[in-house]
Amino acid sequence: MSEHISPAPQRCGAPAFYPDAGLPVHAGLGLKPEHFRQILETLPELGFFEVHAENYMVDGGPFHHYLTRIREHYPLSIHGVGLSIGGDTALDARHLDRLARLLDRYQPASFSEHLAWASHGDVFLNDLLPLPYIEQKLERVCTHIDQVQTHLKRAMLLENPATYVEFAESTMDETVFISEVIQRSGCGLLLDINNIYVSCVNHNRDPYAYIRALPLAAVGEIHLAGFAREQDANGDLLLIDSHGSAVAEAVWQLYEYALRLVGPKATLIERDADIPPLDILLAESRQAERLLQAASNNVQIKEARA
Amino acid sequence: MTKTTTAAALALALGTFLTVASTPAVAGDMAGMEKCYGVALQGKNDCKAGAGTSCAGTSKIDYQGDAWKMVPAGTCEETASPTSPTGKGQLEPFEAV
Amino acid sequence: MNGQQEFFAPLLDPELPSPAGLTSWNGSDPQVRYAVYRNNVVSSLIDALADTFPVTQELVGAEFFRAMAGIFVRQQPPRSQVLAFYGESLPQFIEQFPPAASVPYLADVARLELLRVRAFHAADAEDFAAETLGHRLGQVEDLSSVYLTLHPSLGLLGSPYAVTSLWAAHQGITDITGVDPYKPEYTLVIRVGLDVQVRRIDVAVFDFIVRLHQGESLGNASDQTHARQPEFELVSALGFLAQLGGISCIKTGKEIQT
Repeated sequence: MSEHISPAPQRCGAPAFYPDAGLPVHAGLGLKPEHFRQILETLPELGFFEVHAENYMVDGGPFHHYLTRIREHYPLSIHGVGLSIGGDTALDARHLDRLARLLDRYQPASFSEHLAWASHGDVFLNDLLPLPYIEQKLERVCTHIDQVQTHLKRAMLLENPATYVEFAESTMDETVFISEVIQRSGCGLLLDINNIYVSCVNHNRDPYAYIRALPLAAVGEIHLAGFAREQDANGDLLLIDSHGSAVAEAVWQLYEYALRLVGPKATLIERDADIPPLDILLAESRQAERLLQAASNNVQIKEARA
Repeated sequence: MTKTTTAAALALALGTFLTVASTPAVAGDMAGMEKCYGVALQGKNDCKAGAGTSCAGTSKIDYQGDAWKMVPAGTCEETASPTSPTGKGQLEPFEAV
Repeated sequence: MNGQQEFFAPLLDPELPSPAGLTSWNGSDPQVRYAVYRNNVVSSLIDALADTFPVTQELVGAEFFRAMAGIFVRQQPPRSQVLAFYGESLPQFIEQFPPAASVPYLADVARLELLRVRAFHAADAEDFAAETLGHRLGQVEDLSSVYLTLHPSLGLLGSPYAVTSLWAAHQGITDITGVDPYKPEYTLVIRVGLDVQVRRIDVAVFDFIVRLHQGESLGNASDQTHARQPEFELVSALGFLAQLGGISCIKTGKEIQT
């Protein structure tokens, strides 16, 4: 597989930001309120926790109480869902300020957001909506990422989306669009393996080729999650990025493939619906940790041979 | 002067109150309830997609026309309602007296 | 495709057709695929409301609540990215929602549930020991120069309906069939440590704490309450508030001026 290892990142003219190296190369878990107490009582072996930024944009109370204490024991990744980086509307300055305060308070090892839009005008839709891949959107996304990185004084990771429709007006592939964004803005890549699988099934693409087409040297974190199965109007399979079940076998296989190309990277198990007991999620994180270890052994063998 | 007391007298009385009253004298009749609430409330922002291709987002409901057929059908039916003929809450609008 | 407006509008309006310019690899009708976004926008926001208003939902049943919430979501979608407080205007909406008219106390139950969410997420405040309150009061001469700052989580609700008893019945604390919904109740909501507490209080204590909340001095709030509610007892009211950690600061007139 060595022929697929990506070249060094090209950053002509990009600002002097680089993907966070902060997250430890281990498996982590999405932090859920129903697990707060058990985590503090048992301090399970985990590389990091990840939270959705917007859930902690409140003044005080139990959410901050528990996150503060959990943060004392684990590195943290803050994952935004509300910036609307792919939006036609300008970034919301108040929201950027809230984000800056949150990052200042918790000093996360990584901050990430989505290649999507969620707001239109002053309406927030609470969904990650798709955008056509055209030059005008590319420029807008780069401008927005620039504003975010400048305001937050750090590089962010951008997550590849899960989508259900495509746009007739798109002039470039999603992977080309993402590669351009990363090269122009200097942000890193949050490689969401489940999103790749979901989108590639939904649009009849080869997920392995999709991964190879991405700028893998920019990967700062990997996401794994479960999907739901539906059908489109022709009765063909339509996968939904539901985060409501265990990581599927096909996604584990794609993850192993990605690790061979990217090398071991901090990996998150995401679960946002039908939250199971913590032990079930810890078992999934151990599965990711085993694959990370194997990937890391492979790297050592390659280095020894070189 | 205030019907109750001066500041000094209030301070004294308050001290006594706080020493003597192990439970508040005022109708604090729901003390200590629902201790588990601290983790019951969810974070409402997330990045999942739900509901799939169900009709939640496309169903057309108009409560001003005749389309709205639903009536409340929850625990309100169990509540005592002295103004309803059955003594229970009822489903049709009525004037509470 | 005419920008994001065309993708946006049908998300909240089921009467509009799905946007033009969407494609699918197999030529299947993109409307079904676009419906995934429509569904997620509406159902995720309904879920957020159901999480904030669980007893409101139980009172009318999930089917009714979700249908009502769906109309609310389309009329008043969130204006903030922070969804913790989405639904602040649901009580007013319920009051003007004809199909809910048979449950006249529904809006006030929703108000109580909002107070709980606000209390849950409210700012933390220093503990102000009840003994300190007594000590400080001992140092002042005139209660009309004393101002109390109440805990940021403290909320108050006066209702012509027995909303707190109704709410308590849904926590398994009392039997719902014994609750007369048409009996006025006065309620204090506050976070004590990490727990949100709901306390039914009498009308005099309610009046008094409302006055403090509005910035009246301790002496004035006490006098005014006493004038309307002769049974009012300042000592027990203040003691109750102090024991719950409801007072986070005490200031005298002098301190306020400087």
